[in-house]
Amino acid sequence: MDYINEKTPPIREDRLGACMAFGGSCCELSRQSKKGCLFQNNRTFSQSQGCQLTLSLAILNTIRDAVIVVHSPIGCGAGLVAQAGFCKGFQKLRDPNAFGLRWINTNLDEIDVINGGEEKLRSAIIYADSEYRPSAIIVMNSCVPALIGDDIDTIIEDLQKQTRARIVPVHCEGFKTKIQATAYDAVYHGILRHLVGAELYEEEDPVLPDEFEELKEKYIISRTVNVLNVSSMSRSDEQELVNLLKALELNVRVLPCYAHPDDFADSYEAALNVSICATHDDYFSEHMKTKYGVPFILKTIPIGIANTSKWLLDIARFFGMEERAEKLIAAEVEELNAALKPYREFLKGKTAFLAGGEIRVITTAELLHSLGMEVLGLRGFHFDRYGEALLDQLIDEIPESERAIINIGTGQPFEQANLLEKLKPDIYIGHPGGNGWANKQGIPVFPLFGQAFNYMGFLGVYEVARRLTRTLKNTSYSRNIVKHARLPYRRDWYSQDPFSYIDQSVAP
Amino acid sequence: MSKFVERPRYVCALGGAIGTLKVLPRTVPILHAATGCGGNVALALNQAAGYMGSGYCADQALPSTNTSEREIVFGGEERLSEQIENTIKLVDGDLYFVVTGCMVEMIGDDIRNAVKKYDKGSVQVLGAETGGFRGNYYKGYEIVLKTLFRDFVEKKAVTDGKLVNLWGVVPVQDVFWKGNIALIKGLLHKLGYRVNSFFGEGETLDNLRNAAAASLNIVVSDTFGVEAAQVFEEIHGVPYITAPFPIGDHGSAIFLRQAGKALGMEDAFVEKVIREEQDYYYSYFERIADVYSDLDLQRYTTVVGDSNYTQALTRFLADDLGWLPELVVITDFLTGEQQEQARGNFTGYESGVQPELVFDTDASNVGKYIARHWGQSGSQKYFEGFNPGFILGSAIERDVAESLKAPQLTVTYPISNRVVLDRGYAGYRGALRLTEDLLSVLVGNR
Repeated sequence: MDYINEKTPPIREDRLGACMAFGGSCCELSRQSKKGCLFQNNRTFSQSQGCQLTLSLAILNTIRDAVIVVHSPIGCGAGLVAQAGFCKGFQKLRDPNAFGLRWINTNLDEIDVINGGEEKLRSAIIYADSEYRPSAIIVMNSCVPALIGDDIDTIIEDLQKQTRARIVPVHCEGFKTKIQATAYDAVYHGILRHLVGAELYEEEDPVLPDEFEELKEKYIISRTVNVLNVSSMSRSDEQELVNLLKALELNVRVLPCYAHPDDFADSYEAALNVSICATHDDYFSEHMKTKYGVPFILKTIPIGIANTSKWLLDIARFFGMEERAEKLIAAEVEELNAALKPYREFLKGKTAFLAGGEIRVITTAELLHSLGMEVLGLRGFHFDRYGEALLDQLIDEIPESERAIINIGTGQPFEQANLLEKLKPDIYIGHPGGNGWANKQGIPVFPLFGQAFNYMGFLGVYEVARRLTRTLKNTSYSRNIVKHARLPYRRDWYSQDPFSYIDQSVAP
Repeated sequence: MSKFVERPRYVCALGGAIGTLKVLPRTVPILHAATGCGGNVALALNQAAGYMGSGYCADQALPSTNTSEREIVFGGEERLSEQIENTIKLVDGDLYFVVTGCMVEMIGDDIRNAVKKYDKGSVQVLGAETGGFRGNYYKGYEIVLKTLFRDFVEKKAVTDGKLVNLWGVVPVQDVFWKGNIALIKGLLHKLGYRVNSFFGEGETLDNLRNAAAASLNIVVSDTFGVEAAQVFEEIHGVPYITAPFPIGDHGSAIFLRQAGKALGMEDAFVEKVIREEQDYYYSYFERIADVYSDLDLQRYTTVVGDSNYTQALTRFLADDLGWLPELVVITDFLTGEQQEQARGNFTGYESGVQPELVFDTDASNVGKYIARHWGQSGSQKYFEGFNPGFILGSAIERDVAESLKAPQLTVTYPISNRVVLDRGYAGYRGALRLTEDLLSVLVGNR
């Protein structure tokens, strides 16, 4: 993969043929996905979703000592007002002196729409640099300046000569794609072009070369892995994964979330890039391989015993430490299984419905199954070949999951409401931001992730089991609220096919 | 010419329109905008507004055309028509309201065309152009109100002498809007009037539909909703007054006298109502006399927020509570004329307090104004300073409060560190809630 010389990355519809509208069984999705036409599916009724810009912020609002400049009318990036408080807290978990979230909106108005907004962008960047003296200024381009033709790259190139901060353009115009996850490519594109690579930084050769020191450094690099974290992870998720890798005596660097801009400079000095989630980091991993020759592992997310073990074994195999990893896994799993016993008894036979990112829901489905639960249905924001690989693995390992319903859509809670009414699961496990709807249908909810909780690795399995059990201990809130709240859909919607508004006519 | 805004405390006009429609009873907003506009404002209209919830059909449920490159090139009117039709089929509402984002306006989509076909049918579909570049939340609120008054409120031949309409408390942007509306309605009930506020507890779209029967429109703001009041007067012939948003005894008395006068009431009756409210208010307010004087709870105060809220808070702090709100930072977009008008609401304090007023939209400057007003410690032995200080602002002021080690209460948007349900600060009773919240911060460690 080599898009790095382009100003903007391709969209996922084009790059991966990603699909955002589907309804049917897991088996059917797997079959249709292989034909490669699903990306053409659409909806004749749709509900709102986020855009590339909204999702780009999920990574960018974690970067320490940076200022975000949103080049747009006053509303783009509005979610930051809700995120500033907790972002600061989570940044401080990585660095007690972190500044928290700082951002500027260029406030394009009716006059700028006609005359262009370049001057406002210039003044915002200069202000950001002089007011905060940050390490990086991240400029996010939005729909309006893209349509009126503001040349943000030239402005940035020009201003880079006079600012202390490194300026990173992120091209994340919302109208360009319906696959929100294109955001990750947009962000990594900016990072790869403007933060990664020693050629961007001035470093003087040492006066007296120290050969021993150089050898040592080389050795450390040969044992260094980059763990590419995601913003839906908690600090404790990170710590669990780092601990597992340290048990293999590996040196671990965690990127990109909550990193300092300078942390990217020498990030190519690693033996291996380890993905947490292909939806997030295939673009970065592939480019690090093309440009710097760093190999990567991108198969699964370390959620559940099976996938954590696979994740760990893949890494160990790369370093020739398979046997050691097997021993580690065996010891961990034995200890974990003993601890899980009471929760397995409680959760056995309970039914669940899952919604969120494709990678995460499919692996969480496996986790639930391993606890004795039955997954009635899944929803993924979008679907591409990475989801397909994991779905096939799921069907292969748990044959009954073939029948489970799978619905692809970003948000679109009307389809979900219909499904839940029919499936009536004991618990709903969903992506934060849309969980209230299930709760109002009387279904207890467990968030699919949480930045304050542990979900990953072996510890994560225990935590999920423990917290699921706790959630189900008292479900009065959802049972109360269903009697007094109602969703906005007409009664007859619930008797219709949940996928009535998906237009699959273009696909053969 | 406008400038960039550092940490803006408002979404765009589209967000304001969505926020306003989100809380209008049984109303279904339909968004004709680029993919992402709806999701982009969802957090801001929920988690940053005291976790007010998704509403009836907003946040992720908000119907949206999710316009993308194809429509930007070929036009999105067809997609809009399809979306409206299917929304009506699927979503149960009494009013559907199309709002637009920047992109569809820039490519020249004509929403009136799509909406027109419902003119004579049984389903009511309205539309307004609310592209984000038109302004901030308040602008969206104004546009929606104007459209409702023009296209939804029915013409009335007979005026109901005991009915008034009330607006200017901007839903969601005023995080305590629902409680505040109830409290101000309570004051007007005391004067013997029934009140339509369109967004208040127990109201339905009928309150809005029949609003032209009112004898007076009361806008509790000099800025927000004034243009809408002019439209209302022009079309339905109902006169309006603007009155400052009231908090506490002094503010509420001004409000009641002003409303009473506009309604042609006898002074003696209005004064009797004020006295009754004062009796209630001071029966509680006097209770803090002990703690106030034992612990020396008077504070220098910096007030940060929009022109509506800050004037009400400042008058309460200065004239009711006896604090020293010497610095006020007003953060909304105001024209020069509006700034002058706003200044007028910070005068005539019984306490003699004369706050320094600053109009600034950039959050970082708040700390600089505090340093300028009270001086910055250069480790002198004898030093005045912002101490004991208190900051009344938004969650954004947490940074400056932390750096100055000043206690803080978040009462203006955004509020992400409190959950707000029916709490309100308006009027006499609301001021008691505010007193509880303010002093609870100060005794919080005891």
